[in-house]
Amino acid sequence: MDLELSEQQQQLQKAAIEFAQKELADDLIRRDRDQVFSAEGWKKCADFGALGLPVPAEYGGMGLGITDVIAVMEGLGYGARDHGLLFSINAHLWTNSLPILKFGTEEQKRKYLPGLSNGELIGANGASEPNSGSDIFSMRTHAERRGDTYVLNGTKTFVSNAPVANLFAVYATLDPKLGSMGITGFLVERDTPGLTVSRHLEKMGLRTSPMAELIFDNCVIPASNRLGREGRGVNVFESSMEWERGCILANYLGLMRRQLENCIAHVRNRKQFGQPIGKFQSIANKIVDMKVRLDACRPLVYRIGWLKEQGKSAMMEASVAKLFVSESLVSSCMDALQIYGGYGFMVEQGIERELRDALGSTLYSGTSEIQRNVIAKCLGI
Amino acid sequence: MENIKEDLRQYILDEFLPGESASNLKDDTPLRSSGILDSVATLKTVTFVEERYGIEVEAHEASVENFDTIEAIEALVKSKKG
Ligand SMILES: Cc1cc2nc3c(=O)[nH]c(=O)nc-3n(C[C@H](O)[C@H](O)[C@H](O)COP(=O)(O)OP(=O)(O)OC[C@H]3O[C@@H](n4cnc5c(N)ncnc54)[C@H](O)[C@@H]3O)c2cc1C
Repeated sequence: MDLELSEQQQQLQKAAIEFAQKELADDLIRRDRDQVFSAEGWKKCADFGALGLPVPAEYGGMGLGITDVIAVMEGLGYGARDHGLLFSINAHLWTNSLPILKFGTEEQKRKYLPGLSNGELIGANGASEPNSGSDIFSMRTHAERRGDTYVLNGTKTFVSNAPVANLFAVYATLDPKLGSMGITGFLVERDTPGLTVSRHLEKMGLRTSPMAELIFDNCVIPASNRLGREGRGVNVFESSMEWERGCILANYLGLMRRQLENCIAHVRNRKQFGQPIGKFQSIANKIVDMKVRLDACRPLVYRIGWLKEQGKSAMMEASVAKLFVSESLVSSCMDALQIYGGYGFMVEQGIERELRDALGSTLYSGTSEIQRNVIAKCLGI
Repeated sequence: MENIKEDLRQYILDEFLPGESASNLKDDTPLRSSGILDSVATLKTVTFVEERYGIEVEAHEASVENFDTIEAIEALVKSKKG
């Protein structure tokens, strides 16, 4: 596996950094406090191509391979402060556009992918339910086939992007007795009668990425909006999780790199007891730990891209990366906060927001405990 | 067709029992009831046999009985292939 980015990937990453630094920096402290999603930022990301990174050009995207996507995402993570917006982009890409690309019919691809790539449509994903989180395939939202339609009933919670989304990838069971063989994916448009985007959920972090519940009350959708085969929703869901677990982490490589660089600059400049605080070994050690973590994380993320580009499964590797990178990110934020002292605790500095944002990463797309379970299972334990 | 059992054994060993010796995975070793195949692993196995043997398995056919042993899965595949 080659860890060096190709010249083209370096250029893509550089462009992403410059774009994010210039275009995605507005008014973040207020928007984070007031939980405001940036529709303008979304449009700018669409114009930059970020919303169609892996989508082939024939459906309006950039048609990049996964390693290229990871390189761009790393750049966006480095340049952008608004990690809520980046989170929304990841939810949109990996749990909506990509499942359509991989499992959708030609008609579904032509109908939705161009709009999802050019920013006209925002995608979301409804899998979690009030009583089915980690045990996701025990979901109760029910889909009943009636002629040329399916009728959906149930509630989805923690749906990222829901307040602003136009298209939902939703999972429901045809019959709970069938277990995971009953789970089926569906595409539901926002204005479908019987679908209510319910209460807005206020979060600790990623506050610029809006979240809500979905209620399906005899919501009738055409059978042509089924995503993939009946009873094969697990394949759709697992595939999107594999991509999400890999690519969302690339943003965090960028964020950790920026934090490290900022911290190095700070410990060189900030003087106490007549010398730069970096000269105190306990401070230098934190910087060293940040560096070691980042260097350990990077190959784990790029390995997912490398495996998938060779058509191999990256189930265990995606879980290894998700577990290690998300926990490393939290540690990196904690170290940065301590290194900046009281200044790190101030909202203005941005580190406290990064820490709040980071804490979500050990929960979504499967908690750290669930990643450990997946890895143990893959090891045959 | 003769290799169905061996294909299945190799697939299950590679995917769900890495490091296990092939001799410990017998034709009648329980897969579902022993927990070797949980529901997600069963679905993966269903997808594997569909792709490998060009058959379609319906949701209700992925029952514990049809997927509990290598020989049961082989019987299902053979009945589908006709
Ligand atoms: C920021 C954010 C965004 C999200 N976006 C979406 C979205 O867009 N769409 C969507 O469908 N969902 C979304 N989720 C939901 C997310 O997938 C769930 O929160 C997650 O799967 C955990 O489920 P839960 O919250 O119900 O916790 P629970 O499953 O109740 O878990 C509670 C605790 O028990 C532990 N636990 C549970 N089972 C086991 C086990 N078998 N072994 C060991 N420990 C276990 C968990 O690790 C956790 O620590 C989002 C969540 C967050 C935080």
